[in-house]
Amino acid sequence: MLIEQAAYANRWRGVSSAAKATFALAGLLAAFAAVSPGAALRLALCSAVLTCVGAGVPAGLYLRVAVPAVGFLALSCLGLLVAVDLDGGWRWAPEAWPQVAALAGRSLAALAALLGLVLTTPLSDLIALLRRLRCPAVLLDLMVLCYRMLFVFSQAVHDVRTAQQARLGDATLRHSLRSLGQLTANLALQVWQRAQALHLAALARNGDGSLRFLTPQFAHAGRDTALAVLAGGGLLALARWAS
Amino acid sequence: MHIMEGFLPVDHAIGWSLASAPFVAWGVHAVRRQLQAQPEQRMLLGVAAAFAFVLSALKLPSVTGSCSHPTGVGLGALLFGPLAMVPVGFVVLLFQALLLAHGGLTTLGANVFSMAIVGPFVAAGLFRLGRRFGLSLAVCVFAAACLGDLATYLTTAIQLAWAFPDPAGGFAASLLKFGGIFAITQIPLAISEGLLTVLVVNTLTRFNAEELQGLPLFVVNGGRA
Repeated sequence: MLIEQAAYANRWRGVSSAAKATFALAGLLAAFAAVSPGAALRLALCSAVLTCVGAGVPAGLYLRVAVPAVGFLALSCLGLLVAVDLDGGWRWAPEAWPQVAALAGRSLAALAALLGLVLTTPLSDLIALLRRLRCPAVLLDLMVLCYRMLFVFSQAVHDVRTAQQARLGDATLRHSLRSLGQLTANLALQVWQRAQALHLAALARNGDGSLRFLTPQFAHAGRDTALAVLAGGGLLALARWAS
Repeated sequence: MHIMEGFLPVDHAIGWSLASAPFVAWGVHAVRRQLQAQPEQRMLLGVAAAFAFVLSALKLPSVTGSCSHPTGVGLGALLFGPLAMVPVGFVVLLFQALLLAHGGLTTLGANVFSMAIVGPFVAAGLFRLGRRFGLSLAVCVFAAACLGDLATYLTTAIQLAWAFPDPAGGFAASLLKFGGIFAITQIPLAISEGLLTVLVVNTLTRFNAEELQGLPLFVVNGGRA
């Protein structure tokens, strides 16, 4: 996963996750508070530049992560520029352009704020932050297990798909569907088998409660958070600044 | 069908989050009680969440020749029950936003409502109804997965139509537009996912009937499906 690669290898890896979450939250608020599409685009650009230049996330990687979402946004905006009559006819609706421009700007600014967080913060740090914020233990356990097991399943999917493709498993539509069905059924079986193995392993270590791990320590958490609050205030000011 | 980050107006984003919150709380409460009775289920649900995440990344061949991703809504509801799917779906959608930038944090409430609440409950309800009327397992599984999928897309269309009503035709015209756009792409995909889910359940019943014996949805008239 591209986002995971960047999250573990950027200059802000050692910055407090609470500070980065505060800054992202300010970015999301600013996206909704933007006075114009231009202001929202400036916010998006500012967040993207900070992530690439400040945190050192490669611009190419950033674009590869952002392009699918931006393409989806473009298609959605195209849909909003079409008006449908109740008798089934349709026409272009140029009068919707201001609404679409505001929507596109807001979505891009919000997307940039989200990417600024996820491309600089590993998910394990975010789960630790959620634990500090008193997220229910049941949800945290689900997250911890899901995060660890999804890589195991991804590897299993890769291996099974390779074996299926080597045996012409995708030769026709019918074969593809059948191969996918067998792959999914095989994975579904592994859910019980792996869960049973994990349960036994936990019991062998007297583990019968919540799953706890060492939480990351950040040397300059206070300073980081103060800077994030200042920078977040800057984003909000930029959102309200109409030039 | 995820609604992307920042796409919904702020009042809709907050409203759908508030609408989803009681279901998530109910699901968490139910899972907590289930874990007290059966602690071994803790690992099962966590692993199931990973399974659902990976499933959503698989490419599903469609009968129109395009391909998309299975939602896993029907299969998850049949295997683990609709109530357990609410917290599991919440975690999967959160991870999709954080690991794939697919969906978003501000639209998490709306996406949870369509994919982790409406879809699984519709799928499980249809499955139970079909079995009560004595329909075959394959027909029930197909209907549950296919219509659970379509219920998810219909909910998303309603969410979007509500947020962006047509200036002239209002909500109805907007729903017609979004429903029409989704129908072109999603009906073939829902049929594909229905067929896929039947294949999965057939394989499971053929090779691992033991695992299915613990699943409440597969109990039929005192016997097992």
